Amino acid sequence: MTAGIPLANPDAKARRSRPYRLAGPSWVIPVLLFLGFFFVIPLGANILRSLQAGQTATNGPLFYYIKLLTDAYYGGVILETLKVAAISTVLCLIVGYPVAYFMVRFAGRWNAIIVFLLIAPLLTSIIMRTFGWRVLLARRGLLTTLLADWGVIPRPINLADEPFAVYLGLVHVLAPFMILSITAVLQKVDVRLEESARVLGASALGTFFRITLPLSLDGIATGCILVFVVTCGSFLTMLLLGGGKVTTLSLLIYQQFNVTQDVGFAAAMGNMLLFIGLICLTLQARFLRRSGGKS
Amino acid sequence: MTALEPALPVRRRRRVRYGVIALALYVLLFLGFIAAPIVSVVAVSFSTASFIAFPIPGFTLRWYWRIVEYKPFVDALIVSGEVAVLSTMFGTLLGVPAALALARSRRTAAAIVSNFLLAPVTVPAIVLGLALLYFLSSLSLGISFTALLIAHTVAGIPYIVRTVLSVYRAIPPDLEEAAAILGASRWQTLIHTTLPLVRSGVFAGGLFAILTSLDNLPLSFFFGSANTNTLPVVMLSYMENQFDPSIAAISTVQMLIAIVVLLIADRVYGIEKLTS
Repeated sequence: MTAGIPLANPDAKARRSRPYRLAGPSWVIPVLLFLGFFFVIPLGANILRSLQAGQTATNGPLFYYIKLLTDAYYGGVILETLKVAAISTVLCLIVGYPVAYFMVRFAGRWNAIIVFLLIAPLLTSIIMRTFGWRVLLARRGLLTTLLADWGVIPRPINLADEPFAVYLGLVHVLAPFMILSITAVLQKVDVRLEESARVLGASALGTFFRITLPLSLDGIATGCILVFVVTCGSFLTMLLLGGGKVTTLSLLIYQQFNVTQDVGFAAAMGNMLLFIGLICLTLQARFLRRSGGKS
Repeated sequence: MTALEPALPVRRRRRVRYGVIALALYVLLFLGFIAAPIVSVVAVSFSTASFIAFPIPGFTLRWYWRIVEYKPFVDALIVSGEVAVLSTMFGTLLGVPAALALARSRRTAAAIVSNFLLAPVTVPAIVLGLALLYFLSSLSLGISFTALLIAHTVAGIPYIVRTVLSVYRAIPPDLEEAAAILGASRWQTLIHTTLPLVRSGVFAGGLFAILTSLDNLPLSFFFGSANTNTLPVVMLSYMENQFDPSIAAISTVQMLIAIVVLLIADRVYGIEKLTS
């Protein structure tokens, strides 16, 4: 799983004229060489490959990219990717914000336990969690059996292999990221600001929407972009819970690699995915700079 | 949904309390939602039925025996462990010196390099895997343990750099200065002063790197072969063919390994610090 990292700015605080330096710039060289060789060059080669493989007598180098954007099927897949990512981001925010708020304002000594329960599933394998949803949602699964027993549904039906199951799986995996992003910022919001608003006559909801929510926007932005980017890059939930009904860009890359072996096209799709991620990160950097936030 | 003030009138305070109770119930429900699939997998792993059915007809350990008997599971578990530990070791050797050099520098270049070292985590693993596979194939390293190790090292470096950077930045340079003034060589300062000070950062970053590596299916499946399959890759291909509780059993074992690692981490470092 790709845990997102809010990029930290270097400490800009002015220190003494010349602090003691243990390590010189040369200590950075090995890792730069390693990543240059095994990270930058492969990704660069990937871009070249996508351009070269597309270029034939009749097609320009951008053939695959034009195909991705203009072909009805592939354009649909890109839209589906964005749609799935957007919906799961909004779901995570709605589901997660109250939990984050509770953790910061009321949990007290329970906070450590809630944090543990939130990050413990991140340590189980993604296969285990999707398998778990299949166990619950399959025709003879726990949830479907219970629902049928209670008469909510007439007879057990297969709820796995539906877009519903994909969203359930995504929210399950990603809501903790959203919650921890929000609690990080919410912790710094002075509770007295909320109290002042109440004393001055604001309603509970008014206080929330006019004080708490605006002050936690940084955390919301970090969490949303994190969830959005990770959703765009994940394919296992779609593969194992979507029943072929949810096809996103990364799932298509997986299928291209496994079935058709069309390397150039898979590379182009990967770059498209990378491009979407870059846009998101630029937005985040801009947002955080504008609001003066530091995460 | 709001904070209480002791000075507020009683009537209002009580109404607000109900809101808090409702919120607490919601959080409980949410935690149940988080736990539900995991708990049900553990339950299924003990089921006597060879298909998924509730209520569970009876208890058995036979699916755990199946893990031991099914050689790919055992082999893959070993490969996973080796890759996780070795890639984290290499990532530490590469990442820690860099983080130490970058943390105290105020130059723009240092900020750019720091962000660059964190970049691999923002690239979707499936893209990185695809790109690395074809690049390493051109070096005739294609599908090999070395290739797998390189891929996981690239993915692990950001976790180590990030935590060491933040821990080292919070430490004032005075202690190292004192060591230097008292005549310690640079090497002695590093071994006796700096490394013990940043140990918690190295430890937390390494933990993240190990746990991410253990479950990095999108990166691993590109380099899969009979002797380079990691556990998640074998589990995925097993699941595509069969749907029996042995997947539940191996998942439970994998979770237990992670829990043990986490408990050790908690003893040494404290879990709450890991999330900050």
